[in-house]
Order: sequence, then structure tokens, then C-alpha cells
Amino acid sequence: MVINVCSVHFQYDPYTYPNDYDLHTGDPKADLAYERQYEQQTYHVIPEVIKNFLQYFHKTISDLIDQKVYELQSNRVSSESIEQKIYEIQDVYENSWNKLTDRFFKNSPWPEAEAIASLVGNGECIGGPTLDQRFESYYNYCNLFNYILNADGPAPLELPNQWLWDIIDEFIYQFQSFSQYRCKTAKKSEEEIEFLRNNPKIWNVHSVLNVLHSLVDKSNINRQLEVYTSGGDPESVAGEYGRHSLYKMLGYFSLVGLLRLHSLLGDYYQAIKVLENIELNKKSMYSRVPECQITTYYYVGFAYLMMRRYQDAIRVFANILLYIQRTRNMFQRSTYKYEMINKQNEQMHGLLAIALTMYPMRIDESIHTQLREKYGDKMLRMQKGDLQVFEEQFSFACPKFLSPVVPNYDNVHPNYHKEPFQQQLKVFAEEVQQQAQLSTIRSFLKLYTTMPVAKLAGFLDMTEQEFRIQLLVFKHKMKNLVWTSGISALDGEFQSASEVDFYIDKDMIHIADTKVARRYGDFFIRQIHKFEELNRTLKKMPASTTTAAAVTTTARAV
Amino acid sequence: MTSSFEQMRANVGKLLRGIDRYQFNPAYFQTQVTSQILLKALTNLPHTDFTLCKCMIDQTHQEERPIRQILYLGNLLETCHFQSFWTSLEENRELIDGITGFEDSVRKFICHVVGITYQTIEHRLLAEMLGDPLDTQVKVWMNKYGWTENDEGQIFIFNQEESVKPKNIVEKIDFESECCHRNPSHISHRVFYLFLYLDVKAEYSHTSLIVFLFTGVSSIMATSQ
Repeated sequence: MVINVCSVHFQYDPYTYPNDYDLHTGDPKADLAYERQYEQQTYHVIPEVIKNFLQYFHKTISDLIDQKVYELQSNRVSSESIEQKIYEIQDVYENSWNKLTDRFFKNSPWPEAEAIASLVGNGECIGGPTLDQRFESYYNYCNLFNYILNADGPAPLELPNQWLWDIIDEFIYQFQSFSQYRCKTAKKSEEEIEFLRNNPKIWNVHSVLNVLHSLVDKSNINRQLEVYTSGGDPESVAGEYGRHSLYKMLGYFSLVGLLRLHSLLGDYYQAIKVLENIELNKKSMYSRVPECQITTYYYVGFAYLMMRRYQDAIRVFANILLYIQRTRNMFQRSTYKYEMINKQNEQMHGLLAIALTMYPMRIDESIHTQLREKYGDKMLRMQKGDLQVFEEQFSFACPKFLSPVVPNYDNVHPNYHKEPFQQQLKVFAEEVQQQAQLSTIRSFLKLYTTMPVAKLAGFLDMTEQEFRIQLLVFKHKMKNLVWTSGISALDGEFQSASEVDFYIDKDMIHIADTKVARRYGDFFIRQIHKFEELNRTLKKMPASTTTAAAVTTTARAV
Repeated sequence: MTSSFEQMRANVGKLLRGIDRYQFNPAYFQTQVTSQILLKALTNLPHTDFTLCKCMIDQTHQEERPIRQILYLGNLLETCHFQSFWTSLEENRELIDGITGFEDSVRKFICHVVGITYQTIEHRLLAEMLGDPLDTQVKVWMNKYGWTENDEGQIFIFNQEESVKPKNIVEKIDFESECCHRNPSHISHRVFYLFLYLDVKAEYSHTSLIVFLFTGVSSIMATSQ
């Protein structure tokens, strides 16, 4: 795989990035001319390279078609060679796309990306991209989006959905990376800080939001979705640009981008709101890009968790984890993608563990088993009220939060970049604290059906007054908004599906537990079959006096 | 009420961060606006607007007055420490100037929580929770919700007994459809073997086994006792 990447890189990377900072001669006239030429070059660069790539792709695909036609004509159906071709295309797409991405939009210091980059011999990636590279990347994106949004008519590009998703995904990722980067002023030179100070527009949150909103507007994606979900034809409202798949899908992926961005800024309500025309609670997929599905549900689930909509969060996580389980085999294609999905898979298990601790309820057996394997121990400790474990889980599983504010470069303390995360952690920890007693109370409630309030308070080592207050808290926290119907994922009714319920009548507490009886039907059926098997085997054996004894012995031994 | 909240929610993020058109700027942070938003969020309990606002106000501002006080009040409400809430509010009455009906909204929330927890509650206790030392509010809210009071000072809220009942989820096996497309006599034959087998294993309680045997080919419903 690694070798492949290398060879692909050399094979067709027609675009070599000019190291232009060297080319200013000092002569203003010549430099100005150079600048203009550079602008032009940069403007055309992206479509050019993509055009080349597309040509190569086109050639490979037409070869494939020709081959297929030839084989059909000569009655030779060689599925293997076709499969081989298809695999080749996919393989090539994956790797070379990654290469292009690496080239234009350098990856940040995640270990995986570093490993790939250094293997390819791109030493510049060590220690993360430089300030220059980040600025470069920003301008590249600006050019790309300007081209797409400001063309006189729809741009004549037909790109695979996977690419379009990657573009938006990477765009936000780079913004994220830059926001983190600029807060860490400790290791920066005066020059760099000056540069940052003088260019507040680079990777500015407003610009990023602007791009995403523009793509959404240009494609009329919200109108299209509205019409689509009510059974109509989205083409009728798509508009000149929106009816092209390029714009439509960029619009759709931008919605997911906005979900992500708002979540990173801590605005969970707005995050889910932008998806209000997408039927998140339906099992069908609008986009066939798995990473998009998974990312969407990760952020939606997390937002639900922060909104204290535990049932919704649990349902969303359980569904998407099942989906990943079922489609795992598809992701073997590229290690880079596989890693990312794996990570989100782990994170969602972590979040589900938290949600189920706060709100015990029944979920799919297979997911529950997986969860117990990974987090059984941690869940027990959380149930006992270990705040540290809650915080650890949260830290591992949460998104990498950002502050939209440009730091005051004169006065940035060393942990400034951690503040957005600390803020979210604090809100989460407060919620956990407020519910700290509930787990113990729940386990006590399960033991009784009726009891004087004062007595149960005594068992729990609380005053009656405090216990009554905790019972109110129990009821309050366990009654969440739950989505029942409607398109928007924000809709919902207040419901409680708590397994243990109660009410207070004068001085007595009356408790209602939900007991789930052990399932024995399956067990009986399995044993019946086993016995039939045994019976058949015995019947085949030679009849003798020892048979009866053998039967009894076998029965006892089992 | 809902639509004004929708409007508020749409802008909460921007308002809380003091955003102007061109930049997210902490210098534009307006304490007054933030306080209003937080108080308004409290009036929408049990919705979680208040918690979500906390996610968007950074730590430094959370420690400023009067935001700190409002957050304190909010936490008292979230943890149902209603008596403490009213005491605290008394000491900070100026906070709620400009929010009409703040106290009523809070009482509405309190009645909501009481309504889902209690079947019958002492008059005195309800008065305390509603912050009603002069006993003027209790009657008002009783009327609103149709709660009645008996001679002993007990207020009847709601027949909780109807909805809060123990549930037993059991497996229902219809013997006929599940495994017997065969001769019923075969079944009792197998049942006998099974009994032997299970006796040896001693895994299940005898009650359920006996039920199984005696009901033969009809459908089984066991209660777990």
C-alpha cells in the first residue's frame, strides 16, 4: 500500500508547486508582473489538476468499457479481469486522491498522517504544517470555492460524492487545525505572531461559515430536501445550480459541515437545527458516503447528549454502531479512512456508555455485549459515581472544541487552546454532579415496592427533606425530550422510559419496577433439538442391553 | 411562547458571544444581554435552554456579576432546591427586573415537577416549594391545575397509581406455532426427556417447569415471581 502511494505520486503528479517566495527579484515591475502571473496560475491550477486526473480516470473507465464490450462480443465473460479493473480504479482513486489532498491540503500532526507523509518522503510535514502552508491551503480553498460559487453558470465538473465529502470534511478539519494552532503562541516567533495579527481573515470562522452557507444557498438544498421528504420532485425547486449533482451534494455535505462546526463551537441546538430538513430518524441514506453518515450521527448523538435527550442519544448511537458493524467489510479499502471510522466507532461506544449510565435502558443485545466488553468496568465505576471516569470518557469521546474568537496575541496564556474543551467539560461535569445520587437511589428503589419516605431516606443516609428533593431531581432528570415523529430531529415530547418509576403518596413512596423475565423459549428449543440429535444417534447404534444405561449416563453427564 | 423561544434560540449563539457582523469579539460581550438570555432560558424549564447557554458562555464571563448569580439560581432550580431558590431570589430581586412573569414561569416549572412526582402532597410542603410564605400562591396554582384539598391539609394531585405500575415483560410462547408442526404426543415425550435433562442441570425453578409440563400443547405464559 505504501509503495503504491509512492509510485502513484511519481507517476502522475503533473502539478508541481512553484516555490515562489524565492522568485521575487526585488525589481518592483518584474515582481508585479510575476504576481499577476502567479495569481492567474493559482486560479487555474485546481481545475487543471483535477481535469488531468479526470482524464486519466476517464481513460481507465473507457478501457474497462471497451474490454467488457469486446468480451461480451466474443462471448468471453471474464469477471475477474473486470473486477481487477474496477479494483484498480478504486485503488488508484483512493491513493491518488489522498496524494492530491496531501499535496494541496497538508495534513496536520496526527500520527497517522505524519507516518504516511514521512513515508512518502515529504519532510515538510514533520512538526505539522508551517504557517505558510496553512495560509497557502486557505487560499487554495478560497480559489476552489470562488470558482465553484462565482462561475457564470454551473461549473462543468462531475466529481464523485466521496471527493465532494472529502473536500468539505478536510476544509473544516483544516479550520479546526488552524484554530488550535494559532492559540499556541508560546513556540512561535515574533514574525509569525505579527503575521497572524495582521491577517485575521485567514481561516476566520466567519469565512468558513460563509462558504458553507453559500454552498447551501446556491444549491437550494433545503428546499430540495423539503420537497423530497414530502414525496415531491426535488428538481422542481433545485434551480439552475442545484440540479447539478456537484452543487447538490456540496450543499448537502455543507449542511453536515455546519452541524459539525456548530458542535465544535458549543452551539448544539443550532447544530441539529441546520439538519432540520433531513430525516435523521429514518433508516434510509440520502448520501451514500459512509463517512458522512457516521460523522453526521456522531455529532447528532453528541448534541443530544449535551441537550440531555438521553433516549434520543442512545437510539442514535445504537443505530449507527449497528450500521458500522454491518458494513465493516466495506471499509478495508483505505487504511486512512478505516482509521478514522474506527476512531469514531470507539468514541461513540464511549458516549453510549456515558448515556446508558445516566439513563439505563434496554438496547440491542449485540451492541450491549460489545459495550460491556469495552467499557463494562468503566460503566460500573461511573454508576458508583466516579466523576473522574466520567471526565475521562468525555475527554476521549468528545469533539475537538474550538473558540471562534481570535486570541489576543499579546496576552495568551499557555493553556488557552484548551479552554473551549474545558468549558464543555465543565457543563458536562456539572450535569453529572447534579445527578450524582440518582444511581444509588435507583438501585435502592429496585429493592422495594412500598415504603415510608422517611425510612428509605434513612437507608440512604439522607435527611427526609434531602431525600424528597432528590426524588424530585430523579423525576426531573429522567423526563427528557424524545423524538417521536416529524422530520426535524429537534421535535419531541417529554417522556420517561425509566425502568424504575415511583410516586409519593402522602408519606409513602410507591415503586414500580420493570422486570424483564428471562427468556427461556430459545433455550428449550435448542435443547429439544440437541436431544433429537442424540435420539437419532442412539437409534443408529446397535440395540443392546447397555443402551438404556448409556442413555441415562449420557443425560447425567451433560 | 414557543415561537419567541424559537427566535431566541436561533440567535442565542450569536448573542451570547457578542458577535457583530464582522468578527466574534469578546469586547462586544454584553453582560446585560447575556443575563436576560439566561433568565429567559430559566423561564423555559424543563427545556434545557439554560444548560445549553452555559455551553456558550466562556469561563471568565461566567464569573462576572450578575451572571454568576443567575447561574447559581439556575443550578438551584435544576437540582430542585426550590426553597433555597426563593431565599436566594429574595436577596437578588433586582436581577429579574425586566423579565415579566419570571416568578410565575418558575412556579409553573415547580408545579410540573410536583405533578410528576406526587399523588398527594402536604399543603405546607407545596407552599414552601412555591416560595409562598403568606400562603397566597398555593390556591392560585391549585386552581390552575385542578388540584383539590381535603380536610387534613393534603392536596390531591393526580392519580399516579394508574400510570406508575410494575411491569413484567415476559416471553410468550405459542407452543403450537413455534415447534410443533408435529404430533402432540411427541411433544410430551420430549418434555419428559427435557425434564430429566433439566433436573440434572437444576437450572430453572421448578414452578416454570411444572407449568410447562402441565399445559402441554397450549400456549404458555409464565409469571416471574
